[in-house]
Amino acid sequence: MVIAENTKAPPRPAPVPPRRRWRPWGADGVTGWALVTPAVVLIGIFGLLPVLMSLQLSFQHSDLLTPETPWVGFDNYRKMADDPVFLEAIKHTIIYTALFVPGTMLVGLLVAAAMNRSVRFISVYRTAAYITMAVSTISQGIIFLWLTDRDYGLVNAALNGVGVPSQPFLASPSQAIYVIVAMTIWGWTGFSVIVYLAALQGVPAELHEAAAIDGAKPFTRFRTITVPLLGPANLFLLVWLTINALQLFDEVYATTRGGPLRATTVIVYYLWDQAFVHFDAGYAAAMAYALFVVILLVTAVQFRLARRYAHHP
Amino acid sequence: MIRHRLCLALAAVLTLVLAGCGGGGSSSSGPTEIAVWHGYQDTEGEVFKGLIDQYNKAHPDVKVKELYSSNDLVLQKVLTAVRGGSAPDVAYMFGSWSPNIAQIPQVVDMAPVVKNADWQWDDFYPAERQAATVGDKVVGVPALVDNLAIVYNKKLFADAGIAPPNPNWTWDDFRSAAAKLTDPSKGQYGWLIPADGSEDTVWHYIPMLWEAGGDILSPDNKKAVFNSEAGVKALTVLQQMAVNDKSLYLDTTNENGPKLMNSGKVGMLVTGPWDLSQLPDIDYDVQVMPTFAGSSGGHQTIAGPDNWVVFNNGDKKKQAAIDFVKWLSAPEQVKAFSLGTGDLPIRESVGNDQAVLNELNQKVPGTAAFVQNLNNVKKVRPTVEQYPDISEALGQAIVAVMLGKEQPAAALNTAAQTADAKLAEK
Repeated sequence: MVIAENTKAPPRPAPVPPRRRWRPWGADGVTGWALVTPAVVLIGIFGLLPVLMSLQLSFQHSDLLTPETPWVGFDNYRKMADDPVFLEAIKHTIIYTALFVPGTMLVGLLVAAAMNRSVRFISVYRTAAYITMAVSTISQGIIFLWLTDRDYGLVNAALNGVGVPSQPFLASPSQAIYVIVAMTIWGWTGFSVIVYLAALQGVPAELHEAAAIDGAKPFTRFRTITVPLLGPANLFLLVWLTINALQLFDEVYATTRGGPLRATTVIVYYLWDQAFVHFDAGYAAAMAYALFVVILLVTAVQFRLARRYAHHP
Repeated sequence: MIRHRLCLALAAVLTLVLAGCGGGGSSSSGPTEIAVWHGYQDTEGEVFKGLIDQYNKAHPDVKVKELYSSNDLVLQKVLTAVRGGSAPDVAYMFGSWSPNIAQIPQVVDMAPVVKNADWQWDDFYPAERQAATVGDKVVGVPALVDNLAIVYNKKLFADAGIAPPNPNWTWDDFRSAAAKLTDPSKGQYGWLIPADGSEDTVWHYIPMLWEAGGDILSPDNKKAVFNSEAGVKALTVLQQMAVNDKSLYLDTTNENGPKLMNSGKVGMLVTGPWDLSQLPDIDYDVQVMPTFAGSSGGHQTIAGPDNWVVFNNGDKKKQAAIDFVKWLSAPEQVKAFSLGTGDLPIRESVGNDQAVLNELNQKVPGTAAFVQNLNNVKKVRPTVEQYPDISEALGQAIVAVMLGKEQPAAALNTAAQTADAKLAEK
């Protein structure tokens, strides 16, 4: 219609100004380098260098105590395959990620959809949804420890109120990981709400109006217009949350310390434990590198899939 | 809350390696400066700083500088500093780290030093000396000692109509009292144990193992022997209380003990003197641990002695550090620190001083009982490098039994296999 008329005579693109050759040592180059140098130096020393040195460490035996760090080739990497606790940690990490990532995205989407409207005090609600992000992980852990306490927790008091017996939650090897999933979903919901809210507000109102005129019900419009247009937000959250889930550490440290009976020992917690409790820093570095490679692969696959299925407006 | 957990973990591991630069050169003129890292806060911190000021005034040629560093993290910080060539001159370190600390080349071996009669080395409690000794090295000088005993709520005992614990108690008496103190409708438990499977769990079990006549490792430290009959007997008590009687609250957080005790939810706590100041709301008393009927083990407890470790940063600083530590651990300062803070005296001559005991008990009731309980410290944990591994295996076994997942003998056998494998590794 309107759009079609405009496309009849496409306007000629404005002439592109000739690109200047980049001269690193020219006047601009010097200014540029001067501006980026502090960041480059800091990231180099505190970011890149440790990353490279841990690669080196992963091929050495180091107990962090004695200065000798003999080279051991791939021993640290081979050790992983025979370490039942590490294999258990992988299993826990996968279970956690598989529940946490979709959970956070779903809850975030529902809350964002509920908030994407103009009602009174909407900014209060939006602040409330985001405020969980401002709670420090340690406080969050302590809050959940008390909430879910077997004998004195509010959650069990509520369960007892409706006739359900008290649950041990974080004190139970079979329940603890799910409590941590719930706790971290609570903690990260604010983040996915913000991302989804921004994406929802980018959905053109005309599309909804046009569909409404054609008789589409609100839920159909949400499913067929809004959800497809959320592609980039979904991709971003999927990648970001997955990376964070695979690196779970703080919440475990603050609540269960990997227990009970290692039921919440995830990869990063285990590698911390190996480095600083058992003084096997080389092995810990090898695990960190294995995880790094896995994260790289998972992210690459996610991007691949997203390119195939997600709609980019 | 955008977190870079992996980066953090990597950076943490790597800063240790990275810290190859930097270094602490010392200037030639002026007083010799030595840095002391410690974990004393609040009252302890003030008393400690007071002692340092006193030392600095009396010794114008030395300047002792103190730096607060959380005790739990001090090992990581010291390792980083040692790698960076800027080790402290003196640091407060947990006794359980001694075997690992002994491997750090910069740590000063105090064995030849403390031999001198003016150190009165034998005046330190035997457990302290043993915890500072690794092979023929002495890696530090005693800084603190404590031990475990029963702290009980007098009112809860009276309410339940049970006689309070006495020195003749067996573990059967303990168990039956705990069962009577338990009332699920009130959320009240007879006993509470830290149950995260860490050393905190393990060191509650070890005195029971010793009392039953067992031991952790064979005398040559080559083999785990905690899966003995005695080991099973001790762990069975925990199993019966946690699984059958449900009189034992399993504190998986390791944080709830003093809080629940202070709010009258727990009848007994097996703990050390450090928790006493956290029990202002209840009327409590302290009693030694029960014994096993018919066992030769008698009354025992476990001491967790910590040490002042001296690092070698050049002869001048090293000598200044040794002099300071010697002064700090001399009877006069031990007495002053103990009376100022309520911590147990680390020297027998001070601990046997009735006037000191009376004054300690007046400040924090029950402290004298803990001082006397030091005489029940008959054994110490093995000072082997693999202790963290052994402790972890044992901790998992204890928690598995208390959660009702495994039987004592089977769990201890599995743990002993793990421990043996680790002992054979190095």
